[in-house]
Amino acid sequence: MRRRVKPARVVGQVFFWLLVAVIFVYLMFPFYWAIVSALKTQAELIRTPATLWPDQPVLTNFRSVLSNDRFVRAMGVSTLVASSVTLLSLVVGAFAGYALGKMRFKGKAPSLYVILAMTMFPQIAVLAGLYAVIRVLGMPAIPSMILSYMLFTLPFTVWVLTAFFRGLPDSLLQAAQVDGATLFQAFRHVLLPLTAPALVTTGLLAFIQAWNEYLFALTFTIIDPPSRTVPVAIALFTGEVARQEPFGEIMAAAVIVTVPLVVLVLLFQQRIVAGLTAGAVKG
Amino acid sequence: MENANGLEAAASVTPTPKRRPPSRLVRVEQRTAWLLLSPTFVILAVIALYPFAQVVYSSFTNAKFASSTETRFVGLDNYRALFAFTIKELPPRLDEDGEPVLRDGQVQYESWVSVLPRQPQRFRQVFQFSLLGKRYVLGAVSAEFIRAVWDTVVFTVVAVFFETVLGMIIALTLAGNFPGRGLMRAAMLVPWAVITVVSARIWEWMLQPTRAGLFNTVGSYLGLSEGRTDFFGNPTLQLPSMIMMDVWKTTPFMALLLLAGLATIPSDIYEAAKVDGAGPLRRFFRITVPLLRPTLAVALIFRTLDSLRVFDIFQVVLGNQRYSMASFAQDMLVSRRDLGMSSAASMVIFVIIFVFALIYIRMLRVDTR
Repeated sequence: MRRRVKPARVVGQVFFWLLVAVIFVYLMFPFYWAIVSALKTQAELIRTPATLWPDQPVLTNFRSVLSNDRFVRAMGVSTLVASSVTLLSLVVGAFAGYALGKMRFKGKAPSLYVILAMTMFPQIAVLAGLYAVIRVLGMPAIPSMILSYMLFTLPFTVWVLTAFFRGLPDSLLQAAQVDGATLFQAFRHVLLPLTAPALVTTGLLAFIQAWNEYLFALTFTIIDPPSRTVPVAIALFTGEVARQEPFGEIMAAAVIVTVPLVVLVLLFQQRIVAGLTAGAVKG
Repeated sequence: MENANGLEAAASVTPTPKRRPPSRLVRVEQRTAWLLLSPTFVILAVIALYPFAQVVYSSFTNAKFASSTETRFVGLDNYRALFAFTIKELPPRLDEDGEPVLRDGQVQYESWVSVLPRQPQRFRQVFQFSLLGKRYVLGAVSAEFIRAVWDTVVFTVVAVFFETVLGMIIALTLAGNFPGRGLMRAAMLVPWAVITVVSARIWEWMLQPTRAGLFNTVGSYLGLSEGRTDFFGNPTLQLPSMIMMDVWKTTPFMALLLLAGLATIPSDIYEAAKVDGAGPLRRFFRITVPLLRPTLAVALIFRTLDSLRVFDIFQVVLGNQRYSMASFAQDMLVSRRDLGMSSAASMVIFVIIFVFALIYIRMLRVDTR
């Protein structure tokens, strides 16, 4: 519906697209470097000065990674572990976030602090104790990873969802109560749909955190190699030439495991910023 | 809001002679709240209670990792060893005639090895400083730990600052509706999505001290360097390199949370402000920042906590050249098998992180009521 274009508007547009371009380059250039490195031959990889685009792109690195059964299996394990952690954290975290964000009860502040305190020890410190707990529970590697990742995804989910629930107007809840809804119904039918962007955002962040975890996965899969996750599998890559690190393959693997995550984001991104309150709260 | 406050007033009945029992509605709400919280606490209790108790206990013992030596209770010895420090004056180096040795007009000082105590425990240099024309050295038994604490705090403060600023710029830019925004939002998450251990390696490769690395190649093309800058070997460049890597990696976390926070701000508020003649800067500081504060607070808290526990990139890139607090605790455990000292270091990390969290919660007035 633009009738005439003001000069100020044009300058604004140019500036905006320039900013978008700068952001894009900043975010992508290390990833670009990973792609380029994955396409290079071993000889070109160590050549100086580095080439910004391979002279002869080769797919050998990608081929050897994808024909590595252990790596392909690890992709499956990682998907299972990260999805389970995300779902569990979101469900459990949404309950807790609702209680902490929207309800009045004694012990709320201590609860928030205790939950936050869970993320205050370095992973290495709790590793030995956690391993002992897993042994006592007699859990196999995959469920034990799912359970132990909650240590860092759950506090985060609870805190973010608490903040989002708190931001929702009380009037909505009261309206639901006036209509005779129980607290559970108000939660399920009124607040949960409204927090969809928050749920998707936290879910994505938690999924990636679980997908990338290395230390717990390495420890819990020592006696169960088929349950190795992607980061562990990549770390254990061995080159074809003895004692030489397969850097090209590591980069190829990095590219291969990042692409599904990008697709995931593309699928969910509409949800991230659905015009949330604008429509629902008015009136 | 009125209604909710009324409920609370009823719930926290002051001890008057005749206590009124809380209303049924309040009791139902209390019970529902704890019911909703119970899964969280059950899960956290199962996975955290024993490991945490073990860390606390081990920190007061001389426990060794994977060893059969008897474990003894040593009280605060581990903590003393972590914090013991001393300040000594460094005498100027004298030549045969008893005159101070000068080099380029600068007085030369004796090495710290000669002044710091070696018994009962060996002190090592943390740093030197000059005060009132005299030279002093600060020595500590766990010099690496003191440095690790300092480095980690500097790393965290600087990195989180840049992450917040960049995250805000990215979130504000991508908040609007423009062609290709789906692609941009996917691109935005790429750094966060790249496996940490791998991204550390990508950066290590890009920052190589020869022109096989991207930075040195581009730097030499632009005439900025001779293409031999040693980003990880040169102590003054180590922390900035680490910060650069961390900022790239974790800005998406900030940006995505802020983006979701922006989405919850009703657009009609902006429209109203625009009609009232508020400029973009005014709208940003009067509407965006206050309404974004809860989200910003949570994002800042978790970024800071994560950053204070930074481990992977220090471990992968710097190894035992330079430690973060967590990689120090790891090294204590793995290389020296000193579970007691490692646990004590973890306790110190816990306390430092707790203090940071408290400061944030107070400063950003996070509503915990």
